[in-house]
Amino acid sequence: MSWIDLGPIDEIPVRGARLVKTHVGCIGLFRTAEAEVFAAANKCPHKGGPLSEGIIHGQKVTCPLHNWVFDLNTGEAQGADQGRIETYPVRLEDGRVLLDAESVSRRSAA
Amino acid sequence: MEVAIDTPVKTFIEVTEVWVPEGEKLVLAEGNYGALDGFEEASRRESFARDEGLPGKAWAEARPVVLKQFDGSYFKRTEAAKAAGLTSAVAIPVFDGDTLKAVLVVLCGDDSERTGAIEVWAETDGLLMLDDGYYGAAKHFEWVSQHTHFPAGQGLPGGVWSSKTPILMRDLGSGYRFIRADSAGKAGLTTGLGLPVPVPGKRGYILTLLSARGTPIARRFEIWDARSAKVGKANDAILIDGICAREGALWDEDNPRRVTAWQGAIGRVLGTGIPLVEGGKPGLAAGYDSMVALPIHQGGELSHIVAWYL
Amino acid sequence: MQKLVVIGAGMASGRLLEHLTETDPGAYEVTLFNAEPRGNYNRIMLSPVLSGEKSYEEIVTHDDDWYAARNVTCRFGEKVTAVDRARKVVIGENGEVPYDKLVFGTGSSAFIIPCPGHDLPGVVAFRDLEDTAAMTEASGTPGARAVVIGGGLLGLEAAAALRLRGMDVTVLHLSGHLMERQLDEAAGYLLQKDLEKRGITVMTRASTKEIRGNGKVESVLLEDGTVLPADIVVMAVGIRPQVQLAKDAGLDMGRAIKVDARMRTSDPDVFAVGECVEFEGNLFGLVAPLYDQAKVLARTLLAEEDAFKVKQLSTKLKVTGCDLFSAGDFAEGDGREDIVFRDPARGIYKRLVIENDRLIGAVMYGDTADSNWFFGLIRDGEDIADMRESLIFGPGFQGGAAADPLSAVAALPPEAEICGCNGVCKGRITQAIEGGATDLGAVRATTKASASCGTCTGLVEQLLAVTLGDGYATPAAQPMCGCTDLTHEDVRRLIKSQELKSQPAVWQELGWTTPNGCHVCRPAVNFYLLADWPLDYQDDPQSRFVNERNHANIQKDGTYSVMPRMFGGMTDASELRAIADAADKYGAVVKVTGGQRIDLLGVKKEDLPGIWEDLNNAGMVSGHAYSKGLRTVKTCVGSDWCRFGTQDSTGLGIKLEKRLWGSWTPHKVKLAVSGCPRNCAEATCKDIGIVCVDSGYQIGVGGAAGMDVKEVERLTEVATEEEAIDMTVAFVQLYRENAKYLDRPYKWIAKVGLDWVREQVVDPATRAGLIERFDISQTVYQKDPWAEHVAERRARYAPLADLTLEAAE
Repeated sequence: MSWIDLGPIDEIPVRGARLVKTHVGCIGLFRTAEAEVFAAANKCPHKGGPLSEGIIHGQKVTCPLHNWVFDLNTGEAQGADQGRIETYPVRLEDGRVLLDAESVSRRSAA
Repeated sequence: MEVAIDTPVKTFIEVTEVWVPEGEKLVLAEGNYGALDGFEEASRRESFARDEGLPGKAWAEARPVVLKQFDGSYFKRTEAAKAAGLTSAVAIPVFDGDTLKAVLVVLCGDDSERTGAIEVWAETDGLLMLDDGYYGAAKHFEWVSQHTHFPAGQGLPGGVWSSKTPILMRDLGSGYRFIRADSAGKAGLTTGLGLPVPVPGKRGYILTLLSARGTPIARRFEIWDARSAKVGKANDAILIDGICAREGALWDEDNPRRVTAWQGAIGRVLGTGIPLVEGGKPGLAAGYDSMVALPIHQGGELSHIVAWYL
Repeated sequence: MQKLVVIGAGMASGRLLEHLTETDPGAYEVTLFNAEPRGNYNRIMLSPVLSGEKSYEEIVTHDDDWYAARNVTCRFGEKVTAVDRARKVVIGENGEVPYDKLVFGTGSSAFIIPCPGHDLPGVVAFRDLEDTAAMTEASGTPGARAVVIGGGLLGLEAAAALRLRGMDVTVLHLSGHLMERQLDEAAGYLLQKDLEKRGITVMTRASTKEIRGNGKVESVLLEDGTVLPADIVVMAVGIRPQVQLAKDAGLDMGRAIKVDARMRTSDPDVFAVGECVEFEGNLFGLVAPLYDQAKVLARTLLAEEDAFKVKQLSTKLKVTGCDLFSAGDFAEGDGREDIVFRDPARGIYKRLVIENDRLIGAVMYGDTADSNWFFGLIRDGEDIADMRESLIFGPGFQGGAAADPLSAVAALPPEAEICGCNGVCKGRITQAIEGGATDLGAVRATTKASASCGTCTGLVEQLLAVTLGDGYATPAAQPMCGCTDLTHEDVRRLIKSQELKSQPAVWQELGWTTPNGCHVCRPAVNFYLLADWPLDYQDDPQSRFVNERNHANIQKDGTYSVMPRMFGGMTDASELRAIADAADKYGAVVKVTGGQRIDLLGVKKEDLPGIWEDLNNAGMVSGHAYSKGLRTVKTCVGSDWCRFGTQDSTGLGIKLEKRLWGSWTPHKVKLAVSGCPRNCAEATCKDIGIVCVDSGYQIGVGGAAGMDVKEVERLTEVATEEEAIDMTVAFVQLYRENAKYLDRPYKWIAKVGLDWVREQVVDPATRAGLIERFDISQTVYQKDPWAEHVAERRARYAPLADLTLEAAE
């Protein structure tokens, strides 16, 4: 795997998120704890709400528009709602956030 | 480690006894009187009602009591004590919540020659002040202590108070290891054991035993942790700290010693919840022949046991 | 006999020598170099030596006799200056030693923050006996102060030890909670509380700017300008491998000396062990892996097969009376689940992290009895599917215990404590129930169980169910959310009575079942805390809905609307010109609102700071059109212009808006002031509506014109404008202090009754108190968030990265 360095983790507030624009669409980077980051599609499958603007709790995010809740591990909608968001490999090294290059490349988009 | 001096010249505490409630009275459960047969005999005849004599006072007032003068006091065994050369006493009540389990009494003598300290610290306006203490010949140290107070977390008493845990301090007098180090060093004090004395009501009491090499309170100290938060549901205790003139360090971070209820002397205390005093019984830990084990009841359970051996 | 030279007498190389000499005492002739003038001691026990709870003698692992008995040639206090691998010699200050095999055990040194003053005398690390002696020396001065930089394991042990020695101690920690690598927030909160109980001051999010002093340390200056007097500064922010010697010798290096699984470096006759090695990208700081390495290296040196593997680690803190445990992995993994157990009365917090039916992480505070068992489950990767429901209760609970909570309660012995606050045991509650206390209120009245903090309410209800069987129907009090059984009202009450001043404090002390809440409770708790403790609590943007976090209203297409404030609905030509320019520049659609303002719709998120800056420059501030807070004060033109106007309604509206703007409330608050009973400002359907009359001002509250339509009810009537403002402010504060989050004033008034509200607001003393507390809160919250975000958070509005701009691979 090759990894893209997106910058220091402290650029993302704890229990907050930041957006990354990619060839496969906007991805939210969700910092769920001091040293824990997930990457997942920013767009809610329900009405397209920007998930990176949602409230982050545990390892879940709640869509700001209609409160759909997604597990950031699996991307699955929780509870009665049906839907899934794409998740992407991400890791931390020396306090920097690295995103898997392959999964967001133009080829993946094609 | 210092090489042990095996025949105690003079010990700081001469008599230790445990009084337990039986009906309306406190009766003698166990005692170590050494060679003081006369005082032992007088004590075995005795019993105390609430607020009667020294043990009764510790019960009634629900606090540790230091008595440095028997003559004309509420002390009931003055004549026998005088004959035995005993001049001072400290009574420590052992409460489990509101219930008195026992009163531990220690008696000392010859205060012009023996050095050591038994101190009672009490909480006053958010600070620990010396309530009273018996210091033997350590007069300067007594004066320093009377003019010292401890906020939470500071020094042996403040550390015990804020952590609710007995603490054993080493080398009190070796220059820097103890807040009152300078004076403690001059007084020859080496090892300090501090423990909480929980009593009904809000006020907190801390007891400290400071031992000197020449006239030791003990040559071996142990602190056992019996909280369920530490040992789980088993009725066990583990040795979290300890030091011994014969065996050296007794703690082992990775493999702490563990006893279960009724197993050995500590196990008996664990089982009964009452202090234990043994005297003239060779074959205790490391070959000592006398010991005292004092349980501490906190938060609705027997939380710790401290033990000292001579 | 082969010659073995070991550089560094630390815990890893010490353990190596133990294994080596035990297994084959004749295998090597050993020379041991150590820069410290002593042999191996148990470094991880330095903190109890510092506190005086252990003596140095007790932590010596190898004394002179030990080395002598094993024929180890000791060159202590002598630095190694170079290694010549070509000639296979180690060059010490006092001469060379040839080797057949060489081991680097050079360990690590403290990382020192390179801030100005870091080299002043009095700045110490906490790595060896010399550091310990320096600190004990400093603590000897009565009233001496220590500043410990770094709230990790080592820093906190140093802090507690120095405190025990009698120093005034302050811990500075960069992150939001202590030991953030090992603990989560709840455990960090409990630890901080524990340390504060010991008289240690803990400052989180504290960044050191400079250490000041004239010839020696005198004070520490923080980034925020705080100055802390200090006699010593302990740097405990981390360690770094001490590898210069190995680097100079030309070995392959990463961040440390690279070794393979047999602890061999790039030179087949040279090995490394301990904190100076890098294995598969990992560095090592805790003792357990170092001992594993030592064992592997001993076998390697004796030509036996073995391989080092990276294992899970656990952490304990050596502070007497602080029981904490942390193990395993919280940082990565798929499909994980948390199990959280809290016992607020006893200060206990436990959290287990489960993944694929295996325990992968555990944090425990206050009760570590089962830590070894949990650690074993983590290390062995055991399948825990069968005991998942009762896992958190530890090994004593396993073996067929049913998962039904009622049976767990039924199984409790009569002396089991149910209510920790009032010390009520199960037996007493059961007795009370059998004696006729058949509902929660009656049990509370007779036994006091669950009458204080209320967290055992659920248990008491279960006991009622167990004891009464079908005769008991659990009442349906609506809990705040799935994280707690407590209602909003309970939580508000407990935040005040228990003086809970942070979110982790609420989660822990009120027994939240989740690690950090959910989207339902977080905004509510955030509001309650900032309303009740404006000076102590810091508003948490991550606990706010998007509009309040971004200070603009998100629209269905993901763009935002921006609305500047127009006090009392008044504006002027230059403001309008600036608004027009902004609309052009950012492509916004312009809409006039019902609240007498102008809305700019369709602004992109990354443009928000720009448009705010432009509007700020024209003298405008945020209109808070997005907030649960004061929105607008709608006015009519009043006596200045209108022939019917009785008072200056516009003037009063402006004064009210200037006083109230920026304040957060349980839900939005809209005001209006009409200049006469004709009510052109539609004041009678607002949350607060003032109608001016000849004799003064009629103040109505609790109107609504949304899904519910409701006319205001008269709160009171006053003669002067000043009184009208006072009443309004007092009402807003009463609402802030008492209402449930997301209850508009009319809903809240329906619950508490207008009579009660009036009593509070009309009573002069109560009113004065309310106004005073409101004004205190406004000192913190009446500020323009736009200007603040433009100045401090601008970058956060742009994407973290734009990978579409990068060249194709």
